[in-house]
Amino acid sequence: MKAPLSWLREFVDVELTADRLAERLTLLGMEVRGIEEHGVDWQNVVVGELLTVERHPNADRLSLATVTIGTGEPLTIVCGATNIVPGQRVPVALPGAVLPGGRRIERTEKMGVLSNGMLCSGDELRLTGDGDGILILDSRSPLGAQLADLYGDVVFDIDVKPNRGDALSIIGLAREISAITGSPLRMPDVEIAEVGTPVADRLSVAVEDPALCPRFVGRWVSGLTVAPSPDAIQMRLLAAGVRPISNVVDASNYVMLELGKPIHTFDAAAIRGGHVAVRRARAGERLTTLDHVDRDLDQDTLLIADEHGPLAIAGVMGGAASEVSDATTEVVVESAIFDPISIRRTAFHYALRSEASLRFEKGQEFRLARVGADRTAQLLAAWAGGRIAPGRIDTSPDEPVPERVAFRPERVTRLLGLVLEPDAQVDLLARVGISAAPAPGPAAKVTIPVAGGTRPLSTTVPAIDALIATVPTWRRDIAVEADIIEEVARVSGYDRIPTTLPSTPSPAFRVSPLGLRDTVRSSLAGMGLHEIVTHALISRQHVETWTWTDPTIPADGEEPQAGAVISVTNPLSADHAFLRQELVGGLVSAIALNRRRGQDDLALFEIGKGYGRRADRAHEWWRLGVALAGSFDVAAWNRPRRAADLHDAKGILEALCSLLGFASPTYEQLSSERTLHPGRAARVRAKGPDGGLAVSGVLGEIHPSTAAAWDDRVGGAILLEVSVRGLSGGAPAVPRATSPRRFPTVERDLAIVATDGMTSAALAAVIRDHAGQLLLSVNVFDVYAGAPLADGERSLAFRLVFGAEERTLADDEVEAAIASIMAAIVTAGARVRT
Amino acid sequence: MNFADLARELDALRAGTIDAIAGAPDTAALQALEVDALGKKGALTAILRGIGGLPPEDRPRVGAVANTVRTAIESALAVRRTSLGDVELAARLARETVDVTLPGRPIRRGSLHPSIEAMTEIARIFEQFGFVVHESPEIEDDLTNFQMLNIPPDHPARDLWDTLYVDVPDRLLRTHTSPGQIRVMQAMKPPIRALLPGRCFRYESVDASHGFEFFQVEGLMVDEGTTLADLKGLLDQFAQAMFGSGKRTRFRPGYYPFTEPSVAFDVECLVCGGPGCPACGRSGWMTILGAGMVHPVVLQYGGLDPERYQGFAFGMGPERISMLKHGISDLRLFMENDVRFLESFR
Repeated sequence: MKAPLSWLREFVDVELTADRLAERLTLLGMEVRGIEEHGVDWQNVVVGELLTVERHPNADRLSLATVTIGTGEPLTIVCGATNIVPGQRVPVALPGAVLPGGRRIERTEKMGVLSNGMLCSGDELRLTGDGDGILILDSRSPLGAQLADLYGDVVFDIDVKPNRGDALSIIGLAREISAITGSPLRMPDVEIAEVGTPVADRLSVAVEDPALCPRFVGRWVSGLTVAPSPDAIQMRLLAAGVRPISNVVDASNYVMLELGKPIHTFDAAAIRGGHVAVRRARAGERLTTLDHVDRDLDQDTLLIADEHGPLAIAGVMGGAASEVSDATTEVVVESAIFDPISIRRTAFHYALRSEASLRFEKGQEFRLARVGADRTAQLLAAWAGGRIAPGRIDTSPDEPVPERVAFRPERVTRLLGLVLEPDAQVDLLARVGISAAPAPGPAAKVTIPVAGGTRPLSTTVPAIDALIATVPTWRRDIAVEADIIEEVARVSGYDRIPTTLPSTPSPAFRVSPLGLRDTVRSSLAGMGLHEIVTHALISRQHVETWTWTDPTIPADGEEPQAGAVISVTNPLSADHAFLRQELVGGLVSAIALNRRRGQDDLALFEIGKGYGRRADRAHEWWRLGVALAGSFDVAAWNRPRRAADLHDAKGILEALCSLLGFASPTYEQLSSERTLHPGRAARVRAKGPDGGLAVSGVLGEIHPSTAAAWDDRVGGAILLEVSVRGLSGGAPAVPRATSPRRFPTVERDLAIVATDGMTSAALAAVIRDHAGQLLLSVNVFDVYAGAPLADGERSLAFRLVFGAEERTLADDEVEAAIASIMAAIVTAGARVRT
Repeated sequence: MNFADLARELDALRAGTIDAIAGAPDTAALQALEVDALGKKGALTAILRGIGGLPPEDRPRVGAVANTVRTAIESALAVRRTSLGDVELAARLARETVDVTLPGRPIRRGSLHPSIEAMTEIARIFEQFGFVVHESPEIEDDLTNFQMLNIPPDHPARDLWDTLYVDVPDRLLRTHTSPGQIRVMQAMKPPIRALLPGRCFRYESVDASHGFEFFQVEGLMVDEGTTLADLKGLLDQFAQAMFGSGKRTRFRPGYYPFTEPSVAFDVECLVCGGPGCPACGRSGWMTILGAGMVHPVVLQYGGLDPERYQGFAFGMGPERISMLKHGISDLRLFMENDVRFLESFR
């Protein structure tokens, strides 16, 4: 809400500087988001008096004016406006002046005559809406005075919270200032001179749905002359961010800003039959609204209608047919209370949310319907010469009395941790118009409203422990004890709340669900990978490209990838319309983005969720994704580039498994994942210390066709996605210590020639199965293909380590194991190189 | 052969060997000289073989002379060996000299994402105050995300949380971590000190300070005597821990339907330190989080009796904290994943 200081001052005295007032308002909960110095952009625009106005010698449409600004020679200025006569005081932009929007005024020749500046219209100064005529200033304006000093203003941009609809008004904000400074509030005088035929003889109003329109107040004003509003009014509206239109329209906008009461004015000539109904739309009804859109009306829409049909969508937008025009002489002023929820739904339904609907949505003080109607009629009389018909239409003239909310002063202290005596609380509440006093009469018990809304709760306490707060009718936000407590705290000032640390007991220990994730994150970062965060919301193309053909079996205790892809029913854009089920797509996209920007060597990971729908339930699961592209070694003068391959990803995974206390992962050829190279992909698994599944997933090189279709730059990328036990919330396993062996171990190397299709893992399994109890480890240390081996043959060199816990091995024990292994190798179809 | 002859031969051996030692070019030559003169088959041994032809009374005298000769040669060898060793070591060191100004062999360095890292840091700080981390679902229902937080359908405050809905019946993408308050209260009994970090979603256009996906950290503390003053003290400690000690903080009224009273919490502008600058909108303050005392309606939905229990909740955006702390001007950098940005955090 934009609040000009000059307007606020109409209702409350302000001694504070603008900055200080802004700070105090903020500390009271009326956050000032900005302070705009209105008029600070009129540089070198001064008050001048017109001495002569003549026709320009060379141009019929231009005038030649001489102007004095009080000092120096009179200035000759060429002017295009026709509303000027000698003796008027006008704004003069001197050469060098800068106008709003950065427009510079210079001494220029216009049709053969030198013009020493410019006479300004209200629009050029953004002071009024009039762009045709020169702004005629008050004749008492001092000659030569800077216009900024006369009309400059300070405008506060205040973030009024949704619960304080009452403060979406100049008066509401003036009330808050009054609470700060203690200066009394001056309410506007609403005095009305009524003449002519009573409104009751001209119009009748029937509310058919009182739940949606609890009160409708109408006034009839005739004899109007539609014209621009007085300049001072236009200036004020513009400062508050509302464009002036005409005196009649401006009057309703003015009342909305001043009182917070949205008003609608109908051209009375457009209302037929002298009868208006407030009712829901009927099937098939249509209305062309003020924005000239012909709308199908929904049957939940509340209408203002006459006997021929809809006139306006109640509280949201008027109809074009009954709009006030230049020809309008008679209007009906509507000042109604509508159901906030109905207005909110209707405004959303037609995408017509406005300053007016916003105020209705927040709920309106019942009394304002009457005050707003009278104030509008008064302004129409003053600004447009209107005659106000006697009486009001009022469908519900009984105005409610202020609500009473009982509260316990002891609870205020208990909740705030600030000791405040009951008397002090009463004084603080008085500053926002809340009077608090002990329960009257002999009441022994008082009911305290503890909670309201959809879970009301109350408690009964001895009257001696409670005070009864009488809440002003405009404070619709105060209903329960906690609301009173907040008022006490707010007016007292949050700076007075002490600073203490909790002295209540601590909760029991609980393993942080971030524990294992943090270990994984810091380890991967230590291995040289960058952690990234990609969008969970993705495009259809992303879903179709990256969804796994064959979902991973989850690690123990982790959620499976389950069910259908979830789509967003109101997406922001097609790029973000679905929830992801995998992490690799986002990683690949990050590689593409970085490569577009010249970064070729990338090692990235993300820990994130996938989402799916099974029947009517949503599922979420945690995964770890890794993507490598370009050189994994950091190239330098002493180290060449080396393209990352499958084995780099495995190395990362193996290190991670070791770190988490899991067994080394095993790999199994995987040829069926669409997005992965069929010859360069593996299913990976690792067991936990208990033998359960601890890591499960896939790794591989991106399929060349997938890369080509997604982004050429990502070819060759290595991808890994795994489910890791504990990722959804667990701690890393506690390692078991291993004592160094006291007896020497024996190493033997075996070079095994494997034929096509025989994998390293299979050979290692044969070795393990036939080595007996003494084999401690088996590892590949060399792989060779080429002469003298036949095509399709590979030599895999394994290093076997044997040992025993309590003795040195005898040679023949090892030889026996080797012999048994060699026999098994031959049986398996391979041979041992000698 | 008499004593005088032998003595002369020994003296000649001493003089000749010492001369040769002085002229030896390297330690290998020195070694050869030592063997030739003093070795088992060397000159000294050969000379002493003649001792048998001497009268018994002369033999000890020859032995004495031979010992002085041996000592003299050994000492000359030692002196020469040391000086030659120094020369050779110097030559080797000169040969082994490298250009030490060349840069080192680089080690791969990764980084931790600033959103997640800020969440982790927030968690670490509050864990010092006895808070424990919980998580709650990202796909929520309207009841928990809104209604139980005292935001009924069609409440005007819903404008504060524009929502993305999904094709699962009655489900939406949580707009904040606050529904976690309900889930924690329903699952635990006081004393509760819970921290709930996680991803949130809003129907919001992207700009330098807004995104449709972002993270939040919710805090909740409920017990029999938890006060607004406790909240103020705790948040003040948090600000000092996060942004450095001595930072001024400000507690002012805010608005959330699920807290009453509600609080906005500011820390002094980290750019200007107070006088006001463009970064803080000339106010000298930067808002870092919202908070308040848990609304009695919310306590009841959490299964707690508001007449017995009271407490506070707070919520903050780790990206905002990170932006303030690290001088990041644009929220969009967080989900763009340009490694040149990420490398700032290693």
